[in-house]
Amino acid sequence: MAETHSLQDFQRPAVSSKVFIQRDYSSGTICKFQTKFPSELESRLDKQQFEETIQTLNNLYAEAEKLGGSSYLEGCLACLTAYTVFLCMETHYEKVLKKIARYIKDQNEKIYAPRGLLLTDPIERGLRVVEITIFEDRNIGSAR
Amino acid sequence: MPGVSSGGGGGGVGTAVSSPPRPFRPSRYVPVSAATTFLVGSTSLFFCFTCPWLSDSVSSVVPVYIAVIFIFTLANFCMATFMDPGIFPRAEEDEDKEDDFRAPLYKTVEIKAIQVRMKWCSTCRFYRPPRCSHCSVCDNCVEDFDHHCPWVNNCIGRRNYRYFFLFLLSLTTHIIDVFSFGLVYVLNHRQQLDTPHAAVTMAVMCVAGLFFVPVAGLTGFHIVLVARGRTTNEQVTGKFRGGVNPFNKGCSKNISHILCRAQAPRYTGRPYMHQKMEVQPPFLRPSLTEAQLEAKILDNGIQNDRHSTRSKSSLDQMESQSADAEAPPPPKPDLRYSGLPPADTEESSLLTEAPPTPSMFKYRPPYSSPGRNHSALSHSNKMIRGESLDSPCPSILKSSRQPSYRSEPSSLDGVTLVGGGVGVRRGGGERGEGSGGPGGAAGGVLGGVSGHSLTGRSYTSYPSSLVLSAAGSRSSSLRSAQTAHNPLATLQSEGTTDTSYKSLANQTPRNGSLSYDSLLTPSESPEFESAAHELSPQKPPGPFPSSAKAGQPKLVSPSSPLKGYTSPFLSAQIAQQREGQLLQGSATFSSPHRAYLRAVSPPPPTSPRPPEAQHLLQYGQDLSSRALRNTSSLSSSPGARSLEPPISPPPRGLSLSKSTAYTGETGSQYKLRPTGGGTMVVGGEVGGGHQAPQSTFRPVLANHTISKPAGGVKKVTGVGGTTYEISV
Repeated sequence: MAETHSLQDFQRPAVSSKVFIQRDYSSGTICKFQTKFPSELESRLDKQQFEETIQTLNNLYAEAEKLGGSSYLEGCLACLTAYTVFLCMETHYEKVLKKIARYIKDQNEKIYAPRGLLLTDPIERGLRVVEITIFEDRNIGSAR
Repeated sequence: MPGVSSGGGGGGVGTAVSSPPRPFRPSRYVPVSAATTFLVGSTSLFFCFTCPWLSDSVSSVVPVYIAVIFIFTLANFCMATFMDPGIFPRAEEDEDKEDDFRAPLYKTVEIKAIQVRMKWCSTCRFYRPPRCSHCSVCDNCVEDFDHHCPWVNNCIGRRNYRYFFLFLLSLTTHIIDVFSFGLVYVLNHRQQLDTPHAAVTMAVMCVAGLFFVPVAGLTGFHIVLVARGRTTNEQVTGKFRGGVNPFNKGCSKNISHILCRAQAPRYTGRPYMHQKMEVQPPFLRPSLTEAQLEAKILDNGIQNDRHSTRSKSSLDQMESQSADAEAPPPPKPDLRYSGLPPADTEESSLLTEAPPTPSMFKYRPPYSSPGRNHSALSHSNKMIRGESLDSPCPSILKSSRQPSYRSEPSSLDGVTLVGGGVGVRRGGGERGEGSGGPGGAAGGVLGGVSGHSLTGRSYTSYPSSLVLSAAGSRSSSLRSAQTAHNPLATLQSEGTTDTSYKSLANQTPRNGSLSYDSLLTPSESPEFESAAHELSPQKPPGPFPSSAKAGQPKLVSPSSPLKGYTSPFLSAQIAQQREGQLLQGSATFSSPHRAYLRAVSPPPPTSPRPPEAQHLLQYGQDLSSRALRNTSSLSSSPGARSLEPPISPPPRGLSLSKSTAYTGETGSQYKLRPTGGGTMVVGGEVGGGHQAPQSTFRPVLANHTISKPAGGVKKVTGVGGTTYEISV
């Protein structure tokens, strides 16, 4: 079917399936995703790459949620200014989220898109799942 | 005040962008308006009438201090009112489409060695993370849900709990201040009480005094909650009453967690930046080793329709692989489980952490480490597959029924397709919609055990196949199982009465195997039964020789009252003739269930009780919850009846009821490992064999009945396009 439409060559290939990496709650409610390599990606991606991606994401989220000096100071400042500081300043978590978004974009460009995969930022799913979209590999002719 | 408001579904302040617009309900705004009026109005009057004298007579710092406290109170009030509490956006359709008809109502995760149950939210279409709850007023799932407060007309959740707590503290302080300074004023103006200033001051004092009692009470309540690391929701539902709170980090850490943690981000209303990613083939592929390729092929056996590759040799190979990291190829009849290629859909990947899943349970002693899940899952998958192979293997091998064997996975798939329309799993489960009807109910009842463990692809059609094939089953055992089910339904706090389709799905695979007609000969029944014993987790791979099982303790004795179970594989005549043997043989057919069941309850002599009790409980919970959930619009008793004709209740029905009861007693959703009592209850109820866990299965199996439709042939279409006719 794809061969009959030349436009298909210039459009994004069809989505074959989606894999959802669930949250790992073993350490509590901190944001952490499972590093278990899903079987659907076995033919598409190296296990090490995947685990590295997820581990980096986990580390970034841990940094965002860290109960450190910066988050404490931020809270104090907010109290003192009757929370008006939130109107002009970005919270620590939001800063790290931007960092995560950049990282995911970078990973997509470098690693996942060339393999017909696409990572979706988990914040769009409420930090519940990491969604990996698997695109149909038309060259092989079978949906994976 | 925990605002369990029933003021309708008016749009709250924190309404998620993704939720549909709700009608405007002015009644929802009365409490918040009253609170605002009293707070601002009283304080303004106080400033106007009392503060001038105070600044003159006492100190000018006083009004400044009161103003600061008041502004702080107001700021926290506004934040608590207008801030998004942590609403989860609705899950997209893709996320749960694979779970349809198969997903259990609950999934269990382990948090710091404590089992925590995650419930499926039918509105939001995902499994609620721990501590998340769905607010009926706001119609949203809220992270770390505390309560819905009518005084701020907003849910209190993760993001705004801090502000709510500070609001309570500052309001209490403010009330005390206003009352105290008002008293000072009145005491100094005793002779001028008829002046307007004094009158106003006294009025303000009355308002303050009136509100002090409830506000201080609520403040004290929340101080205790913060110190204990609990939410209001957890406190009032008694989740941790008899157990341990996995979220408790110690008093000081709990307080710092509430007050000093970074402001959590909002999930809704975010600026969505579309990823403009060019994804064009050709795609890179990782290089696969031969072993990986082989494993991959075997893994994907069901989907790739490689049934022909399965032969005796492959069976042996599978057995030998049981110790390998690779998952065995999709097996045979009860393969539903095995069929689950480690295909990690959202559900299965989540389930890898779920202890109740028998497959997981078997090889993964601690479910805490997700890193181990992969190998464990493959191990468990292997085991399941091996197990499922066990029972049919001997006879299959003997009869050399390769075609039937080959067709089984297809039948699984076929069943999946057919059953797709039978019942909506959770679609209406919680709301009692359940379109599945009897099929759904049947599936739900049986599905509990096996269904939720792995990807449920093959589960889907179980209800339909069961309904079709189980027409002539004896319903008496079903009824007894049903009655056992009733307490489950009543115990379920969620009130869902849907039956789990997973249980149905578990039995589905059998449908396609016409070869079982000849397989179930009287001589073979004991083998099946002994093979069934082989399914227990402890049995090493290599279960084929049935003679080896003879020496093993019979988990289900031939004399066990397995009444009324009829394998869907049997024709009606054979089933009738071999009723007695079928009961035993059915044990093997129910092996998928039993595989899971046994997984959950390993042979007592060798395995510790608490873990199995724990898993049994959770499993029971899952089963019961699922069963209840899927019995859509049925109440407990009607649900039981509707379950009768098509399917028998989950094998663990009895155990489920007990386990649920046990859980209910504690009032806690969270189960600890050393809950041996649960096992005892379960075992005792069954009337005790030495092997309590297994003994629970006896009545279960006894009740395992598959009713068959009256005559006729049912066509089941497989994924590969194969069509199987099930003679009924």
